[in-house]
Amino acid sequence: MQGFPGAMPDAGQLQSTLIAIERACSSIQMHMNPAEAEKIIISLRQSTMPYHTCRFILENSKMPNARFQAAGAIGDAAIREWGMLTDEDKKGLILFCLHYTMEHASAANAYVQLKVSAVAAQLVKRGWFDFVEAEKINILLEVKQAILGIHGSDVQFAGINFLESLVSEFSPGTSTAMGLPKDFHDQCHLSMELNYLKEFYCWAQSAAANAVDRIVGGYASASEEKVCSKALHFMFQILNWNFQKSSSALDYSNNKSNLASSGIRHDVVQLRKFERSLVEPGPLWHDALLSSGHTLWLLNFYATLRQKNSSDVLWFDFPLAVSARQLILQLCSLTGTIFPSDNGEMHIKHLIQILSAIIDWVEPPNIVPGTLRSGRSESEMVDGFHALLSMATLTSTMLFDNLLRSLRPFGTIHLLSALTCEVVQAHASKNDDEQTWTSEGLDILLEIWTVLLGRTGNEKKLSAESIASASNLFNTVVESHLKAAAESAFEDDSDADYFHVSVSKRDETLYAYALIARASIETTATFLTKLFTERFALLSQHNERWDPTQTLEELYWLLLITGHVLTDPGEGETVLVPEAIQDGFAGVSDELQHPVVVLSWSIINFARQSLDPEMRKMYFSPRLMEAIIWFLARWVDTYLMPIDATKGHLGTSGHDEEQQQDSQPSKRFLLSFAGQNQGQIILDIIVRISTSTLTSYPGENELQAFTCRKLLVALVRRRHVCLHLVALESWRDLARAFANERSLFSMNSRLQRSLAETLVSAASSYKDLEISNQYVRDLMGPMTAHLVDISNRNDLKAVAQHADAMYMVSCLLERLRGASRATQPRTQKSIFEMGYAVMSALLTLLELYKNQSTVVYLILKFAVDFVEGELAFLNAKETSILVNFCLRLLQIYSSNNIGKISLSLSTSLQSEAQAEKYKDLRALLQLLTNICSKDLVDFSSDSNEVGSTDIAEVIYVGLHIVTPLISLELLKYPKLSCDYFALVSHLLEVYPEKVAQLNKESFAHIIRTLDFGFQHQDADIVDKCLRAVNALASYQYKEKTAGKEGLGANAMSSEESNGEFQESILRYFLRLLLQLLLFHDFRMELAGSAADALLPLLLCEQDMYQRLVQEFLDKQSNPAIKTRLASAFSALTSTNQLSSSLDRPNRFKFRKNLQIFLTETSGITSII
Amino acid sequence: MSDEEHHFESKADAGASKTYPQQAGAIRKNGYIVIKGRPCKVVEVSISKTGKHGHAKCHFVAIDIFNAKKLEDIVPSSHNCDVPHVNRTDYQLIDISEDGFVSLLTDNGNTKDDLRLPTDESLLTQIKDGFAEGKDLVVTVMSAMGEEQICALKDIGPKS
Repeated sequence: MQGFPGAMPDAGQLQSTLIAIERACSSIQMHMNPAEAEKIIISLRQSTMPYHTCRFILENSKMPNARFQAAGAIGDAAIREWGMLTDEDKKGLILFCLHYTMEHASAANAYVQLKVSAVAAQLVKRGWFDFVEAEKINILLEVKQAILGIHGSDVQFAGINFLESLVSEFSPGTSTAMGLPKDFHDQCHLSMELNYLKEFYCWAQSAAANAVDRIVGGYASASEEKVCSKALHFMFQILNWNFQKSSSALDYSNNKSNLASSGIRHDVVQLRKFERSLVEPGPLWHDALLSSGHTLWLLNFYATLRQKNSSDVLWFDFPLAVSARQLILQLCSLTGTIFPSDNGEMHIKHLIQILSAIIDWVEPPNIVPGTLRSGRSESEMVDGFHALLSMATLTSTMLFDNLLRSLRPFGTIHLLSALTCEVVQAHASKNDDEQTWTSEGLDILLEIWTVLLGRTGNEKKLSAESIASASNLFNTVVESHLKAAAESAFEDDSDADYFHVSVSKRDETLYAYALIARASIETTATFLTKLFTERFALLSQHNERWDPTQTLEELYWLLLITGHVLTDPGEGETVLVPEAIQDGFAGVSDELQHPVVVLSWSIINFARQSLDPEMRKMYFSPRLMEAIIWFLARWVDTYLMPIDATKGHLGTSGHDEEQQQDSQPSKRFLLSFAGQNQGQIILDIIVRISTSTLTSYPGENELQAFTCRKLLVALVRRRHVCLHLVALESWRDLARAFANERSLFSMNSRLQRSLAETLVSAASSYKDLEISNQYVRDLMGPMTAHLVDISNRNDLKAVAQHADAMYMVSCLLERLRGASRATQPRTQKSIFEMGYAVMSALLTLLELYKNQSTVVYLILKFAVDFVEGELAFLNAKETSILVNFCLRLLQIYSSNNIGKISLSLSTSLQSEAQAEKYKDLRALLQLLTNICSKDLVDFSSDSNEVGSTDIAEVIYVGLHIVTPLISLELLKYPKLSCDYFALVSHLLEVYPEKVAQLNKESFAHIIRTLDFGFQHQDADIVDKCLRAVNALASYQYKEKTAGKEGLGANAMSSEESNGEFQESILRYFLRLLLQLLLFHDFRMELAGSAADALLPLLLCEQDMYQRLVQEFLDKQSNPAIKTRLASAFSALTSTNQLSSSLDRPNRFKFRKNLQIFLTETSGITSII
Repeated sequence: MSDEEHHFESKADAGASKTYPQQAGAIRKNGYIVIKGRPCKVVEVSISKTGKHGHAKCHFVAIDIFNAKKLEDIVPSSHNCDVPHVNRTDYQLIDISEDGFVSLLTDNGNTKDDLRLPTDESLLTQIKDGFAEGKDLVVTVMSAMGEEQICALKDIGPKS
């Protein structure tokens, strides 16, 4: 072949390479000395101009693996040597690959052909902007002819294969990086989309069309069928393209009015979940996809085949059927400007057309699961659900419902409801253990419901028929789940619990059910009340021998679903009464008759029964209590003294016309029934229930965690609720018990921390500052006093190590920690007093418990939280007290831990010990970082006062103490190293002048860790190191130009015995950075920070830089590479009018230069 | 604070009790526990229920702190478990005798000669080598329920 690059080796050499490679491949396959074999293959990949050899192997080797490797080597070498190949060479390589795949289209071992085709695609892309248009067209014309079937179906297949590789090479997600910047890939992406994509689609379509006729006729060969399904799959792939051009093409603002009337939604961006996306190819595609009857053709084709193969249960999973369905789904997800602005008419027609076809896949609802049980694959049904999901996403709820009406006497929602009923029943009945399709199908169906009903305002209006269907569906859901709950009641509560794969998954399902329930809330609220009361009544007429377990489990499930129906989760947001519940119940005129009020009261009354010890013992199992507490926590957030109750107005998302009827009495009832008066009574009940779960359920950690972390937190969240709370006798009892009684000490100590936090948080509701602080003192005073007592005991040394003493100290520390976390401006003063009171006690205890890692950790964590909460508020004197305390803490910790080796017989205990050390160090770093923040955030009034502590000074002292503890071993823990490098880079950036003052050892240590950080896998950490080096070098450069000493002696730490730092630090980093850029697989996303670090280094060490460059150039033996490298180096420093300053514009120029440099050199040097 | 609260039972004369009862639900990972009469460190706690509506049980996986054997126990979470008093004391190393015993200096100036060298290979060599180089070594001795073992070593610098 003409234009094949490189010199032609002689025949003997070719043959010997072939044999070597074949031998290597076979030994890899047989796992004999794979390292050696890999070396041989890599050497082929890295050799210069291996093209003739590779071609020889491709054409002559009998071993597919060897051919595969040869193809890969062509790709690698060509990308690497791209700059040195002539245009003729490049084209020759591409054509060779292309022809190879075509010629060998029918050969076995398709993966070799695939690889060759992928290499061709890669090379085409690499040269996309080098070739003139005519050359590209020439290449593609050949492919087109192949695809149209001139050379038979095997070549057709190979042609589609090549285009498939090409398209995936051009889509950002699947492209090969090739060491080129993102910009290049973006341009390729756009160029492909504008110029070729549609054409490719049409080629594939005509290839498919030819085959289809023969397939339908029944005289198609197997390979024709293969081509057809391949073509359909390729079309599917094209429609998966991330279209750029269309979204900006049309402004939707002018047809906003159409939107509402037609019901087609233009605002949706994506199909949520299930990894599918909407297809927005833009108006250019109109003729190809819509006006040419393409959709109808495809639908008919599928329907015909389906008819023909209806008796074959396996047919539904055949590639042809699968690709056809995938393409149909993709067409169903079409949206955007491909449709003309005709008020959605065409779009609606398109959807109805598809719906009329896919309806056969899912109808009639009760038959479908039946046939699945008899062995038919579920894939068609699932695809049908996916199509419905696309439609639901693209249309308003009303339009979605109406789509089916032209085909059936009922709406789409009715069908959806019937389908969901079937699937839910199948899912809940445990007989079908093996059938995973129920959960997959249910997921999609519920997602459709969530899409349809999760909207706001007009878009989710439902017809009466739909409301009835929803209500019907909800009844089915509840009944089947109650049945399943009752059946599963006696199972052990373990992870295998089939209902709750995980809590979040369960909550998602329940949320969808709740939306369905809210669609017909007027009937469902009453329905739930009825079910709940029935079961409650069952418990009340108890007799001794009756086993309540099943009823308890039913109640448990009812509480969960009711909680979801009545309230939204509202993580971190202000929770409002759900819109559907506010807007419903128009006819209700009496508060006590309001179904939601009735339902709420029935649950609260039920929960109150748990206060009776007799009842509690008999019926209120820990699990049931968990559900009650969970329910109450959510209910409190939504209904208890709602924020807008006083105004009688709810701020919902602005559709004002509806707000006119705001004075609707039913809405007022919802907001007032748990208002001030009733609210207090309810609040009191809830506090008493909480106290009883904390004291009467010993050891039930999960329940108590719910109480401390969910319910009590919800109670103190809003200030006006809190105001009533602190006035309650029951709350004061709880606080008193916490402060003075022993009983709560038996709770898990972590929960004691949460409890302390909640109790202290409540203090901020007092209007008077002094009362707030007094409340905290009363609460925490006994803790500090007790801790000080312990530390002052004469026999401390003897008793301290006892388990009970340690337990007590741990509990107290956790409580102090909880209180510090609750620090607020109003209580800051008393919390500081609390911390101040225990400072010396803590130092004593730290010394005493130096061998008890759990206590040490708690002390450190207390300091972290305390500093975080307090530091911003403190004046100079308090700051210095706190900072001194922290330094003492660091010193004691450090003196006890430096050089300590702990060993154990057991490896797991050993790794535990290592993990403990790591946790300690993280806490120390957090402490330092928190102290740092004083410089950034300072609320104290007298920050300028003379004698205030120099934070930078403190940090460096701290760093002196901490750095020796941080071994390179420990920096392998990702979180620790992240914290550490964040701190170091922050310090170097903000206070470089302090570096010079560090002693030699610490400085060298920091440098060594930076050196370590450069080799880190995590790009984030490398980035931080680059920033640190940038700061260091910039500082040095500025100092030097100002004629000062700068880093001084530290810069010359050449005494390292291992020769690592023979030269000055900056020179060392310069060399390191250049090596990183040239010889490692440098990540382009770091180019910016690398440029920032390199510029000052290079300015500081001009001579060194020149020498290094020369060194690199001298090492090059290949003159072509050498010249390219030399010009790249000179361009790096001379183009763009780079000056020798470190200001922003100059840095920016250098960033650009480096980017060009990297693009130019990447690949060339990586193998030298 | 009332007087009877918050005082722990142990007196200064430790020997009386080697363990202390603590609610199973309050024992966390990394805490200590007695299983089958052996002092252990908890490496894993999992909670399960007897039947869905039963009470919680704690399942402990723990490692014997002296012989590193793995032990397991299941205890209702409201019941008490025995928690061993685990003491760690630092002593300065004075001498290593040829029969494998060490001689340690106690706080009050006496010597303690009843401890064997550890069996752990690496700790053993570190002690021996360090001692031979004349380093000042402090060893940490862990004791619980009447057993003792050297568990850590610290170099406090060459003798000055």
